[in-house]
Amino acid sequence: MASETSQDELMGLLLAVARKDRQAFQRLYEQISGRMYGLCLKLAKQQDLAEEAVQDAFVQIWHHASEYHNERGAPLSWMMTIARYRTLDLMRSRKARATDGDEHLDKTEDHREGPLDNSLRSASAKALTGCIEELSDVQRDSILLSYYRGFTHDELAVALSSPVGTVKSWVRRGLMALKRCLER
Amino acid sequence: MKKTPERIELLAAEYVLGSLQGLARRRFERWMMESARVREEVWFWEEKLGHLGNQVDDKAPPASVWRGIEARLWPAKAANAANDSAGNWLWPGWSLVATAAALVLAVILVQQPVPTPDERLSGAIVQADATDPLWLVSGSELDRSLKLRPVAATAAQAGKDYELWIVPQDGQPVSLGVMPVGDTYQVTLDDNTRALLASSRTLAISLEPVGGSPTGAPTGPILHVAKLYEL
Repeated sequence: MASETSQDELMGLLLAVARKDRQAFQRLYEQISGRMYGLCLKLAKQQDLAEEAVQDAFVQIWHHASEYHNERGAPLSWMMTIARYRTLDLMRSRKARATDGDEHLDKTEDHREGPLDNSLRSASAKALTGCIEELSDVQRDSILLSYYRGFTHDELAVALSSPVGTVKSWVRRGLMALKRCLER
Repeated sequence: MKKTPERIELLAAEYVLGSLQGLARRRFERWMMESARVREEVWFWEEKLGHLGNQVDDKAPPASVWRGIEARLWPAKAANAANDSAGNWLWPGWSLVATAAALVLAVILVQQPVPTPDERLSGAIVQADATDPLWLVSGSELDRSLKLRPVAATAAQAGKDYELWIVPQDGQPVSLGVMPVGDTYQVTLDDNTRALLASSRTLAISLEPVGGSPTGAPTGPILHVAKLYEL
């Protein structure tokens, strides 16, 4: 799933969902729910919360499929974004995550060796990976922990043993450096 | 705060990353509604950072997730499907509907009038995507009663009744009787049901044949599950 070739299929399904085609909606679910649940679970680290986020996301996709357009990125990333925001909202409204320091350190390690080393097919994804590699270690850690774990600035400060103000500026400068790199 | 290009650029990035939070996040969402420029900046980041999401391993969600989506989008269809398999009732299904119900619960609690001093438990039976609660629930310690006041509840389909249940922390649900729609339904709790409700604080409503479940356990689909709160 999620290779470049399937984006056309997802686009077709999404268009059908916008016309309230329930079968297409179910097929869409079969296609992307694994990817979505994986992402939500990685963020939330809680099954029930991840399940709720996936449900909410699909309910939203059903209602808002017609609002999708290609400036919002590929269909898959649009739908993943919906699920990700929902997960972040749920996490924050519940404040439900374990926040002990050891776990943070594990995750930092995890990110550095994990997803970025996977081979990536699309050029755009490669560009992102390349640009993330160009960031300083602390900028990269801050951004990846925020993205994958939904850490707040305060949580980042604990995880990276640094003052909140410092962590904030790592995130901000990292993001701006990332943008300059992506625009090159 | 002024929408300078630099600020839009940074806030959009932080919004998508998730590090923009609370009031600042809500304020930025307003900016998005007001300005195409802001939305485009957000979409840029959603697309770029979206690739990070694609690098996570897939994991199939439990089958109950799809059933929950169906139950929320098409309650009638989900009810029929559950009717077909009334004999082998799937207990874990309850928690799902509960999720849907819990979503809007917080909002409704805030809108409730100030409770009288003896009311201990409170909540609402709600339907996802509906603005009004179906029933408002209040439990009174003083007269050991539980009251469900219909707000937006409609009558059960022909040949069916709504039955109210306490969902205990462990074990089978305990019936609190068939609820007529239209009037406030009040039930007096005995020691057993009081203890069960005090510990689980969870109610459910199922669709049953007229007169209630013939077996003493829910046979029809669970339409709603609600968690009550102590006041």
